Amino acid sequence: MAVIGVGRFIQQRQDFEDAIARSYQVEMQAREQLASGAGGKGARATAIREDERRTGLREEISADTRDTALLVAAGLIAGLTGALLLFSGLISSMRRPLEELVEAAGQLAGGDRSARVQIGGLSETATLGAAFNEMADELEREASQRDQLDRLKDEFVLTASHELRSPLTSVQGFAELLMLDRDSLTPKQVETVEIILDNCRHLVRLLNDLLDLARSDAGRLGITPQPTEVAPLIEDVVRTMRAQTESASQILTQQIEPDLPLIYVEPDRIRQILVNLLTNAHEYSPEGASIGVMARAVGDEVEIAVTDNGPGIPESQLEHIFERFVRGDAGLTQRVGGTGLGLAISKSLIELHGGAIAAASTPGVGSTFSIRLPATGRAASAAPGPNAAEASR
Amino acid sequence: MTRVLVADDSETILLLMRTRLEMAGYEVDTAADGQEVVDRWHHDDPAQLPDILLLDAMMPRKSGLDALRELREMGVETPVLIVSAHQDATDANAPSELEVSGYLNKPIDFDDLLERVVQLTSDRV
Repeated sequence: MAVIGVGRFIQQRQDFEDAIARSYQVEMQAREQLASGAGGKGARATAIREDERRTGLREEISADTRDTALLVAAGLIAGLTGALLLFSGLISSMRRPLEELVEAAGQLAGGDRSARVQIGGLSETATLGAAFNEMADELEREASQRDQLDRLKDEFVLTASHELRSPLTSVQGFAELLMLDRDSLTPKQVETVEIILDNCRHLVRLLNDLLDLARSDAGRLGITPQPTEVAPLIEDVVRTMRAQTESASQILTQQIEPDLPLIYVEPDRIRQILVNLLTNAHEYSPEGASIGVMARAVGDEVEIAVTDNGPGIPESQLEHIFERFVRGDAGLTQRVGGTGLGLAISKSLIELHGGAIAAASTPGVGSTFSIRLPATGRAASAAPGPNAAEASR
Repeated sequence: MTRVLVADDSETILLLMRTRLEMAGYEVDTAADGQEVVDRWHHDDPAQLPDILLLDAMMPRKSGLDALRELREMGVETPVLIVSAHQDATDANAPSELEVSGYLNKPIDFDDLLERVVQLTSDRV
């Protein structure tokens, strides 16, 4: 449009200039006639007319110039607007796939391995989308391989534990058979059989613990929490432990705050944890030591603490105390029957209950292991409790 | 005399079970797999059939649970204890229509086993 306008303007301009040149020529001729005295009145009129005509022509052409300029400007604006529209169209056709890409990347990062984008639109965004999908495919493949490895490991531990149980049943069973007839055995033989039985029990514990850990790793260590009374649970555990602590002349006391709220836990699992903590306190403390179990309400949680006045745990060991196969001082573990897995399992179980476990110790003074569990009214969740960080102290 | 049929694929475990149960005054018969258990009902004199079954959950040829299913389908109502090598015997949980009377873990706690056998066989008298 602007081009046509400009072309027409140039043509008109040429015409005007020709007309002005002709008019000037006519006026000049008229003035020459006047000067030579030949033209008379007619020549004067012609000269004046041509002069006026050129003035008119000039006005006309300047108006026309303005129109054309406006026309050109309008054309330019229209062109620019068109280009802008085209460009914004381009941008919006890029924006949608990019937004989709951002969203899919977010899903992928959030653990949704099936997140993919639709490939389409401009070739640049299509290439980007295809690259993203390829990367997501690769991630999914790796993750499923990892899952498969985890399953294999879990299966292996399960099978190994299963296969070991049958021979263990025979060893333990026949040793028990010997003990049924202990009167006909010499004291030395009785001691020997007792050692066999002790080690059988240790193997069973180890198998059970390994299985618990494998399940925990596979996310298959399940709990079925229910509203549970704290006091009977602790009293039951203390009763179970009494024979062992008394055999070492240790003093076992309990101190349970009255009117504790119910806790939302699986009682057998909490019993398992408390037995583990009390067994540790018993085995790592010398004869005659004091061991205490305390329970109190803290906010909307119940805290159960097992305290002993044993040798304590050096700080360098304390920070690794909840890790697997980490056990107390080697000098002591000679006579301690643990598997080194008890606290690691306890920590997993407590966190599964939405609680936290923590250890504090002063060498030479004693140790305290405390667990916090959600009281009813607060639902237990898989997420670690607010004090989880304390556990790795 | 109360008859106990024990099925396990391990001969040592069968020997152990036989010894403990005979010491407790039971008449003990053994089977190496589930098929042998089912065969008792096909071939034996009904008077010789056991009063209680102790079945290992996992056995070659025919598992304890498969044998039990067949027996229940035949209308056999003999009480059954399932012995499992799983840490948690209820992992081998049988459907309720198989009417399992109880589960025992390996290693076997014989005091527990004998107590349950007494209870299940005296119920029937």
